[in-house]
Amino acid sequence: MGRATSSSSSSIESSNHFAFSNTGASSSSQRDLSTDLRLGLSISTSPSYGREQQSDWPPIKPLLGQALAEDENECNSATFFVKVYMEGIPIGRKLDLLAHESYYDLIKTLEQMFNANIIWAEAEVDADHYEKYHVLTYEDKEGDWMMVGDVPWEMFLSAVRRLKITKC
Amino acid sequence: MQKKMAYSFPDEVLEHVFSFIQSDKDRNAVSMVCKSWYEIERWCRRKIFIGNCYAVSPRIMIRRFPEIRSVELKGKPHFADFNLVPEGWGGYILPWIVEMAGAYPWLEEIRLKRMVVTDESLELIAKSFKNFKVLVLSFCEGFSTDGLAAIAASCKNLKELDLRESEVDDLSGHWLSHFPETYTSLVSLNISCLGSDEVSFSALERLVGRCPNLRTLQLNRAVPLDKIATILRRAPQLVEFGTGTYAAELRPDVFSNLAGAFSSCKELRSLSGFWDVVPAYLPAIYSVCSRISSLNLSYATIQSHDLIKLVCHCPSLQRLLVLDYIEDSGLEALASSCKDLQELRVFPSDPFGAEPNVSLTEQGLVAVSLGCPKLQSVLYFCHQMTNSALVNIAQNRPNLTRFRLCIIAPRKPDYVTLEPLDVGFGAIVQHCKDLRRLSLSGLLTDRVFEYIGTYAKKLEMLSVAFAGDSDLGLHHVLSGCESLRKLEIRDCSFGDKALLANAAKLETMRSLWMSSCSVSFGACKLLGQKMPRLNVEVIDERGPPDSRPESCPVEKLYIYRSVAGPRFDMPPFVWTMDDEDSALRLS
Repeated sequence: MGRATSSSSSSIESSNHFAFSNTGASSSSQRDLSTDLRLGLSISTSPSYGREQQSDWPPIKPLLGQALAEDENECNSATFFVKVYMEGIPIGRKLDLLAHESYYDLIKTLEQMFNANIIWAEAEVDADHYEKYHVLTYEDKEGDWMMVGDVPWEMFLSAVRRLKITKC
Repeated sequence: MQKKMAYSFPDEVLEHVFSFIQSDKDRNAVSMVCKSWYEIERWCRRKIFIGNCYAVSPRIMIRRFPEIRSVELKGKPHFADFNLVPEGWGGYILPWIVEMAGAYPWLEEIRLKRMVVTDESLELIAKSFKNFKVLVLSFCEGFSTDGLAAIAASCKNLKELDLRESEVDDLSGHWLSHFPETYTSLVSLNISCLGSDEVSFSALERLVGRCPNLRTLQLNRAVPLDKIATILRRAPQLVEFGTGTYAAELRPDVFSNLAGAFSSCKELRSLSGFWDVVPAYLPAIYSVCSRISSLNLSYATIQSHDLIKLVCHCPSLQRLLVLDYIEDSGLEALASSCKDLQELRVFPSDPFGAEPNVSLTEQGLVAVSLGCPKLQSVLYFCHQMTNSALVNIAQNRPNLTRFRLCIIAPRKPDYVTLEPLDVGFGAIVQHCKDLRRLSLSGLLTDRVFEYIGTYAKKLEMLSVAFAGDSDLGLHHVLSGCESLRKLEIRDCSFGDKALLANAAKLETMRSLWMSSCSVSFGACKLLGQKMPRLNVEVIDERGPPDSRPESCPVEKLYIYRSVAGPRFDMPPFVWTMDDEDSALRLS
């Protein structure tokens, strides 16, 4: 979530020069520029410039880009980034909660982001191996740390300020 | 005889003389005259600018300059603004603050650009510098309004708090209330980047009311239009003002109140903000327009005819930032009304759309280049360009010092002749002999780089995307551009040869960025080994570069000169190529 996608347009160019396979090409958005470019036509980047894809072309600054995108898409272009820290790792990440539809969605993203098994209020746990798991908690508006998942998703969105993943 | 000369000026006299020398370049020159001048100069230098925070360490800075009062630092490379630098790359200010807290208790000014600032850093600033006056955080991130509250509460002599375009965690609008009631020294406040609804308006009002020296106030979007009059009446001495949202239901009483408030601001010279503009409210500012020299309408999504009306009221305009809604017709009007124009920036209203949504073409820029004799600085986004337009612009405006053109579709040729735009940009560098900054776009071959290498002798910063055919292009630039300091390249097929052949050049520059090019890991290692005073950083989110063949191109490469050696705060996706046998250091 919120990671810059590396521009992959050169992989089309450089595949003419190098025989290498772009393995594990992460979350690059593949834009097929080759045909369009040779005809000199304007490139049709997907106009559905989604929240998850941070565009790196054309080179406009983030605040301006956001403001323009909001004007373009009236439908739910809002974002709500919160910080997420994992115990033991000083550098946190940021996550757009509004890019998720439910707790399940959120947990899936977090598990991928941090490469961990995450417990929340409705998780099923292997009771013999607690130490394998991490617990997801959030800080609410009153500054209290609560386990994620007890209240309805919308209520959670209005209360959450930041997230923390701690060892069991 | 010579010794007598050296003693004939006491140190204090030399210090006094040096105090009139402000520019860094001149100060550096002074320090190289002789050892005693070096010593005197280093003790009396008060201001320091460090263009790359990793080029030097805080300890080295403190050791040489023990009496600094003002520090300016830049962190991430410029392309970080366009999401090309992954999060976590670096640029942390905390280690600097920690060292300066001990060494510079009288530090007054900190100006940062593209750095990661935490609440902890802000709290440390608030606690450590008793006479702290100026905090400018430009394109920074990592902090929240809690950190700002600490600054507000503790810095009794604060004059300037400028958060331009930073990303701030807006936790609570009450941070403004942390300025004590006794605090009256504010001169400049820019909170335009603050997101949500939470700036306590009453706290802002009281703050503005009790600070008689306030000259610059830039509000955030959340401040409604009907509050502007209240603010302006408390601060009619403002020179620079940024509105919040400039939209409201049209009501005559609100309008006349607003117009009245603006007209009482006799010193107003610069306006910005204007989110969500309702055109009917624009005439409220007409009374001040004749004196306005700077107008930032980058967020004003209004149409050409409203923009034209506004711009025609501003004959003293020197600087205009506007969306391409202004269209060619608006730029023609600008060219005939605003003869003092020095800087023009036109941003795309629909950057990701496939087809142009407005009638803004190369003609608009040609018109301005013809009509505005003082035009020096241009940033222009458009969908089409021709060589002949560029040649026109170059011939009309040889006094251009900054020319940044972004044709939105990569590799787009001259739309009339279908040729590359080499000749057009060639004309720019040939005619504009004082050109310091250039950004290229459109279809370009190695030829354009040949022109640049041949003519652009004063060029300091070059940005290149989707251009060139071969290493020859890069070689022309690196071997020809004598004044080059910053080079940033993306999506070009430049590889190892030019880079390795011009390795020594890189030590004369601040930095080189190359992403999505064809520089191999092997070449990076070689460069790192050959050049101990360069930090060669490979950024690759695919995993360790040595898990792939040496000939495999790296994703991103950032090379910069440094006297501090390799850094130790790299994230897992950055590797530094240093000069030891184990060229790969896993962080």
